[in-house]
Amino acid sequence: MNSSIGVGGMPAASWVSTTSVSASGKRIQREMVELNSDPPPDCSAGPKGDNLYNWVSTIIGPTGTPYEGGIFFLDIIFPSDYPFKPPKVIFKTRIYHCNVDSAGSVWLDILKDSWSPALTVTKVLLAIRSMFTNPDTYSPIVLDIAHMYLADRAKHDELAAEWTLRFAK
Amino acid sequence: MVIVEEESKASPQEQKQQNPVAENGDGLFSPRFKSVAAMAGWDEEAILVAALVVEDTPDRLCKHKKRTGLQFKTPPSNSRRKRRAQRRSPVSVPIVVLDLDEEQSGKGESEQTKVEVRDVANEEKITEEEKKTAGDELKIEDNSGVSCSNSALPCIDKLREELSCAICLEICYEPSTTTCGHSFCKKCLRSAADKCGKRCPKCRQLISNGRSCTVNTVLWNTIQLLFPQEVESRKAGGALNNPEENEHRSPARGNQYNVRTRSSRPSLASTSSQTSNPRRRGIPSQDEDAEHRILGRGIHNNVESPSVRLASVLHRDGTMRRRGRPSQDEVAATALRLERENLARLLGRDGSVRRWRSTSNEDGDEDAVFALRLQREEFMDAFIENPDQSNRTSLSLARSNLRAMASRAINIRTRRHPV
Repeated sequence: MNSSIGVGGMPAASWVSTTSVSASGKRIQREMVELNSDPPPDCSAGPKGDNLYNWVSTIIGPTGTPYEGGIFFLDIIFPSDYPFKPPKVIFKTRIYHCNVDSAGSVWLDILKDSWSPALTVTKVLLAIRSMFTNPDTYSPIVLDIAHMYLADRAKHDELAAEWTLRFAK
Repeated sequence: MVIVEEESKASPQEQKQQNPVAENGDGLFSPRFKSVAAMAGWDEEAILVAALVVEDTPDRLCKHKKRTGLQFKTPPSNSRRKRRAQRRSPVSVPIVVLDLDEEQSGKGESEQTKVEVRDVANEEKITEEEKKTAGDELKIEDNSGVSCSNSALPCIDKLREELSCAICLEICYEPSTTTCGHSFCKKCLRSAADKCGKRCPKCRQLISNGRSCTVNTVLWNTIQLLFPQEVESRKAGGALNNPEENEHRSPARGNQYNVRTRSSRPSLASTSSQTSNPRRRGIPSQDEDAEHRILGRGIHNNVESPSVRLASVLHRDGTMRRRGRPSQDEVAATALRLERENLARLLGRDGSVRRWRSTSNEDGDEDAVFALRLQREEFMDAFIENPDQSNRTSLSLARSNLRAMASRAINIRTRRHPV
C-alpha cells in the first residue's frame, strides 16, 4: 500500500519511467472503457478523481447471501507497474467476511500471489462478488469469522446480515 | 524490380486489352474497368478464386514456369490475360455483372502470377531485387488490409478481441506464443516473465524460458494485414515514447555519428552528439540513414546564412507535406533536424561556447535532459496540432525555444566535459 500509492500517479524517478507509467495508464484507460461498455452485474467502478490510478467501486450484495441489498464501496489502487503487479482492493464499507480484514483489505489469492497480468478489474470485481457467496474459509484472514462460518453457519449469516444492515444500507 | 517492370508494362497492356472488348460494342466497359483498377486492394475472394483457377489447371502452371525464364521480354501476365480477354469477350457483352467479376478474378490472377514470379526470382537468388519486390508486395497487402478493416469484415470486432494482448489489452504487437498456446506482445510477455514469474499469464502453466521470446510470424503478419493502422500507430508511439526498446543500440549509433561528424567538424562532435543522444535513441532504425544524411547536410550547411537555411527547411517541409500527411516519424525527423541545425548554428556562431566551464555539475545533466525533452514535446505538439499550416510563427517560436534549450544544454555539457 505504502509505495504503490505514492508511485501510482506521479513517479519521482526520471522520465524513462514515465513511459512505463503511461503504458499502465493506457491499460487502465482501456479497462475503464471496457468496464463502461460492458459492466459486470451489480458492479461499477471508475476513477475517483482525475487520478487514473485511484478508483472507487461499488458492489451490490448478491441475493441469497447475508450481504443481500447492501451497497459496498471499495477503493481500487493501481500500482505504477500495473498490470504486472496486482491492484490493491480495500473495502470502505465495513463487512463481516472472513476474507476481509478489519482495515478493509481484501485477501484473495488472485490479488496476492496468484495475480496474473491477464486479469482485469472486471475479473477482480467478479471474484469479489463470488467471494460474497463462497467465502474462502481455507485461507481466511479473520479466523473467528471463518470458524463461525464452518461451525455455525446460521449465526454467521445472521451477524453478516446485521453488519450489512448497519453499515451497507 | 521484376514486379515494377511488369507493372509498367501491364498498364499500357491493359489499355490494349480494353480495345477488343470495346470494339464488341460494350461502351460501358472502360469506365467500369477503371473503377476496378481504382480499387487498390483486391477482394480476398477474387484472389482465392484466382488461386483456385491456377491450381486447377496444372498445364497452365507449367507453361507459366517455362515462361518465367523469359519474363523480362514477355511478362507472363500479358499473354495469359490477353487470352482470357479474348475468351471472355463474347460472353461478357450481354451479361454485365459477370464481366465485372471476371475482370476482377483476372486481375487477381495477375497478382497471383506476380507472387510466383517473385518465387522464381527467389530461386534465382536475386536477393536485392527480391527485397524490393517483397516491399512492394507488403504495400499491396497493406492496402488490402486497410480496405478489409474498414468495410469487408463484419467480424472485425471479434477479431480485434481475439488478437488483443491480454496484458496491454491492445492489438498484439509482435506477438509471441507460449508453449501452452497463448499469445501476447513480445514485450508484454517478457516483462510478465520478469516481474510475475515464468508462468503463462492466461493459464498459469510454466513457460519454459520467458527470455527467449520469438515472434509468431504468421500471427504477426495476420495482425499487420488486419489492423495496419493500429500497428502503425503503435510503431510510431513505441518509437517516440519507448527509449528502452532501442537503448542497447545507442552506443553503436553514437559511434557511427561521431565518426561522421569528426570527419566534417571535429570540435562539434563531442558536444552535439551527446546532446542529441536522447532523441536519437527514440528514432526507429530504418530512419537512421536518412537522419545521418540530413544531419550531415545540416552541419555542412553551417556556413550558410540562417535565413537561407530556414527557407530550405520550410521548403523541405513543404515537399514532405505534399507527399501526404506527415507521419509521426517524419515530424520527429523534422524536429530533430531543426534542433540539430540550431545547435550547429549556435556552435558555429559562438566560439566562446567552449570556454564556458566551471565546476562540474552532475545534477544539472538530468535537468538538461528533462528540459530538452519538455521543449521537444512542446515543439512536437505545436507541429502535430497544425500540420497543414506551415506558418512561420510557430516555427520561429519553436526555433527560439530550441535555441534557448540548446544553449542551456551546451552550457552544461561543456561544463561537464571540457573540450
